[in-house]
Amino acid sequence: MSFTVHHPASVSDAVALAERYGADGRFLAGGTDLIIQIHRKRLASQHLIDLTGLAELRAIEDAGDEIRIGALATHKAIERNPLFQGALVALAEAARVVGGHQVRNVGTVGGNIANASPAADVVAPLLALEAEVVLQGAAATRRVRLRDFLAGPGRTMRGDGELVREVHVAKPPPRSATAFLKAGRRKAMEISVVCVAARLTLDDAGRCAAARIALGAVSATTMRAEAAERALEGALLTDDVLRDAGRLAAGACHPIDDVRASARYRRLLVEALVPRALARCVERISGRRS
Amino acid sequence: MTRVPLTLSINGEMHELLVAPHWTLLYVLRTVIGLSGAKENCLEAECGVCTVLLDGKAVNSCILLAEQCRGRSIVTIEGLGTSGQLHPLQEAFIRHGAVQCGYCIPGMILTAKSFLDETSGRVPTRDEIREAISGTLCRCTGYQKIIDAIAAVAAETKGGT
Amino acid sequence: MRANRNLVAGQRLPRLDGAPKVTGRFVYGADFALPGTLYGKVLRSQVPHARIVRIDTGRARAMPGVRAVITAADIPATRFGNAIKDQTVFATDTIRFLGHPLAAIAATSVEAAEQALAAIEVEVEALPALYDPEAALASGAPLLHRDWHDYVALPFISRDGNVAGRTRMHGGDVAAAFAQAHRVYENRFTTALQHAGYTEPRAASAAWDGGDTLTVWTNAQLPFEVQTTLADILGMPTSRIRVIVPGVGGGFGGKLRIGVEHFAALLARQCGRPVKMVTTSEEELIAAHPRQAAIITLKTGVDRDGRILARQGRVIVDCGAYSGSGPGTGAVALQCLVGPYRTPNLEMESLAVYTNKVPSGSFRAPSGPMANFAVESQMDMIADDLGIDPLELRLRNIVRDGDTGPAGEVLRAVSIEECLRRAADAIGWHDRRPAPGRGKGIACSWWMTTGGSSGVYLKLNTDGSVNLASGAVELGTAALTGAAQVLAEQLTLDLEDIRIAPVDTQSTPYDYGAQGSRTAFSVGNACIAAAEDLRRQAFAVVARHLGLPADEMRLQGKCVVAGEHRVPLSEVARLSQLGGGGLIAHGTAINPPPAYDAARVENHPLPVWNTPSFHAHAADLSVDRDTGEITIHRYVVVQDVGYAINPTYIEGQIEGGVSQGLGQALSEEIVYSDGRVLNANLTDYKMPTSLDVPPIESILVECPSQAGPYGAKGVGEPPCIEPPATVANAIAAATGLWVTSLPITAEKVLLSLRKEYPQAVDHRDSARD
Repeated sequence: MSFTVHHPASVSDAVALAERYGADGRFLAGGTDLIIQIHRKRLASQHLIDLTGLAELRAIEDAGDEIRIGALATHKAIERNPLFQGALVALAEAARVVGGHQVRNVGTVGGNIANASPAADVVAPLLALEAEVVLQGAAATRRVRLRDFLAGPGRTMRGDGELVREVHVAKPPPRSATAFLKAGRRKAMEISVVCVAARLTLDDAGRCAAARIALGAVSATTMRAEAAERALEGALLTDDVLRDAGRLAAGACHPIDDVRASARYRRLLVEALVPRALARCVERISGRRS
Repeated sequence: MTRVPLTLSINGEMHELLVAPHWTLLYVLRTVIGLSGAKENCLEAECGVCTVLLDGKAVNSCILLAEQCRGRSIVTIEGLGTSGQLHPLQEAFIRHGAVQCGYCIPGMILTAKSFLDETSGRVPTRDEIREAISGTLCRCTGYQKIIDAIAAVAAETKGGT
Repeated sequence: MRANRNLVAGQRLPRLDGAPKVTGRFVYGADFALPGTLYGKVLRSQVPHARIVRIDTGRARAMPGVRAVITAADIPATRFGNAIKDQTVFATDTIRFLGHPLAAIAATSVEAAEQALAAIEVEVEALPALYDPEAALASGAPLLHRDWHDYVALPFISRDGNVAGRTRMHGGDVAAAFAQAHRVYENRFTTALQHAGYTEPRAASAAWDGGDTLTVWTNAQLPFEVQTTLADILGMPTSRIRVIVPGVGGGFGGKLRIGVEHFAALLARQCGRPVKMVTTSEEELIAAHPRQAAIITLKTGVDRDGRILARQGRVIVDCGAYSGSGPGTGAVALQCLVGPYRTPNLEMESLAVYTNKVPSGSFRAPSGPMANFAVESQMDMIADDLGIDPLELRLRNIVRDGDTGPAGEVLRAVSIEECLRRAADAIGWHDRRPAPGRGKGIACSWWMTTGGSSGVYLKLNTDGSVNLASGAVELGTAALTGAAQVLAEQLTLDLEDIRIAPVDTQSTPYDYGAQGSRTAFSVGNACIAAAEDLRRQAFAVVARHLGLPADEMRLQGKCVVAGEHRVPLSEVARLSQLGGGGLIAHGTAINPPPAYDAARVENHPLPVWNTPSFHAHAADLSVDRDTGEITIHRYVVVQDVGYAINPTYIEGQIEGGVSQGLGQALSEEIVYSDGRVLNANLTDYKMPTSLDVPPIESILVECPSQAGPYGAKGVGEPPCIEPPATVANAIAAATGLWVTSLPITAEKVLLSLRKEYPQAVDHRDSARD
């Protein structure tokens, strides 16, 4: 276990270092996963590029149509930010159940995305919100859809020299709401056995204008349940319709058996939690519950 | 092995150190400086006994590289109060019977302090307190008397400590 | 609770070691380090069962920073163990579990030691392994200990091949009673391996003085057992081994048996420098001393009114690769499986069985929760089947004062009815199913106050304070604060006048140890005896000084009062130092077991329970029918403590014990697959967080014992006995089905509701009320 820690003074310095060290380099944000992986000897980076000092990456900005979340925004910052108390509340709901306060005080949104764990809580609402990721390289900056960015468990389309700089989330239209639900064996400190994020927009007649459903921990990456989304769009959201969406989502996922749960149970959870998350969105839109 | 110079501010005192890049803050506190109030257990941010304050916020020192603390302020349990002059949280933990084996208690108290400072200006509910300490495992107490102690301080100080 | 006339005992006073603990100044075993210490690490096997072909440490010895490397080849193959001497320090020729120690290394840093471990070459030849204790019992199963017959064992233990201990209790004629019964119920229950979960890992530092005297600083629960075990391993007289206990960060039984002390001692001897060892979470979960997994079958015959006619039970505890605490754990399950119920005919058997898994230990109330889960789940199934309220069924069957217990002993100070009724009242039993998916459950039990002797020394100081030296370790329970309260009361002192000396086998008197709910009870009794000795000596000092008769003196307000004269204890200390070498008092205590019928018990280490306590728990919870998730709203414990020496810390014991019990009930298990632990980290070994533990209401009943200080009974272990059964019964009230396998995860609940899980008893089609 031997490496050098670099403390770049700017984002461009950080990216230049990453470019120089290529596969031997690794960005260090909160470190809540990276340091554990290094200590478990699953990762042997020679150069850690510490982003902690780059205040410009911490900002959460309201840019009119969209919200720009700096990669270094902590889970605590998301949880506490008033921008995520309305239609985007699923993000705060997800951030609030990541680890304990100690982890949320340092763990970052950028790290959560770049890590690409299929069980990452914050990724589910971002996917349901069709977030986009801004990647900065030494030569160019590009903006990609989060769903394209996630390539597999622990794998993304980020190049060695590229930094996850920001995540952009479009503000949903009026009569929209989001919700996030998570199941684990305990009520805190859990890696999701299943997590579900939903985003719903209703038209004036109360029909579903748009639905987005993201599922965590049931496939190689956090996934969208598109068949369920299509079945909802244009429909009046009766209990039966919501239940059918749950069944469609459960049918579309590819869970595995592991020490945390069986594939069978995970599928049943998807079937249960998808309608529940959608129902919560409906309640939020109709203002019955915030 | 390579060592890099590092100055750390711990409990208001500056420490000039030579550290290996992979040393965690917990290792530096316990083994290099000799402050054993931050405890060692899982080393994976699951149990919370290593909790310290970094710029006033509770963090797991077991997964934080010492180098990440460059230029920031660290407070450990030893910096909070002494037997002669206990911090209100320390006093309340004793008074409410919240201490059994005590191994998680430094982390609990610092987590509580960080949380009460975060909610400064209002009195958090018992449920909020329960949630706030969920990242620190206690095997002895069932948490109830710990929550009692924190709630009492919260009520006395309106949050911030 | 009764009115308490004492000024110190029975009061809610703060513990004596609170300030150092909250300020981070308290030194635990894991904090302790000697100057110039090296760091030790253990190489553990990566396979569950194998013959060792070759271990080559050549490369490791040459690595930078390495100062000592030891394998079985370097030390005599001495066997040690608590009940059966079946273990060696390192695997000699056979690896018996994944995690089995193969070698140990001391180096200048933990990292250097770990790198050197990786350089040791191990070649093995796999052997067929046994993971299931029932398979290990089958005829023709391979013998896991071919030399078992040659092992030295405690005389009462009955062994046979893979069976490390068999115990029986019986009375009456079970077959005849079953034949006459109105109904006979038979169920099978299984429970999982549970880690004690102390937050401080096991740790030890060892240093040799001139080569023939060893000092070990360790966070062990039983320093005197560590001393004798080290004497066995090292082939040394016990007096040359000094065991000092700094602070202990929780034990719960997991730190009873030797942990890493022997590795530290051997390494320190080889390299001539102090060595410190601390276990990792992974080592804790693959190679510590967890609570045994158990398989329990229970058959009960009842009459038309639900009165128990006969019970037949069999408990199989999975010891793992070595017997550890298994034989005793299996045995005490039997009393718990009978329960606090009149049982005219009974036949109970326990088997402690070897498998190729982690050697297990004795976690808090060792087999109590498993046996109670079986008997109390079944009581509810019977009640439901007969259409009798579960509380009423229990009240019809519970033991009463003067009844005989399972070993034929006469039961005294029986309070189970009060415990049950108050628990039912507190949880609102009249409304047992307040909403769909919501239910309330109740369970009750009894438990022993473990015997064993205690000695204490007292030293009177010239400031009037008293040093209390006991060999019992303060694990965190505040049991020593409790004993000090008893002592202060006896000597008319304040609690703050008592100074508790650190445990050191060289200077503190013997104690059977911090285990078995006995510490405050037994050390408290020794304190009463020592206080009597101190009074006697103090009166003699004053008698000599004033020329007054000692038999008319008394202690009052920290003074010896003799007629008009009041001599402060500080002055007594000074006088004693002037003429008598200072005042040292000594007291001892042992709680002898009650008389019993030896014909009813075979091969049992604790055939009859000392000073039993009685208790009942009740829970109110909801079951999410779509996800299986359990949410406990309220939890009530009514516990007969005899006399509450310090109600605050008794509540602490209850709240913490319930929390551990709920962990066993709902979330905790060390999961094995093909001999490998799948969750050897605290991410996936799930102990309850603050959000998992509901509000707990403690109600203390004081039905005084004849044996304990001021009538006290053992307190520490019972609170973790009933939670699994209480939760199972509340889930059944909410859903109509019992999950009969611990932990009762949300997954098991949901699959049971869907009839997809086999280990459940489903009464939904036949529910009567």
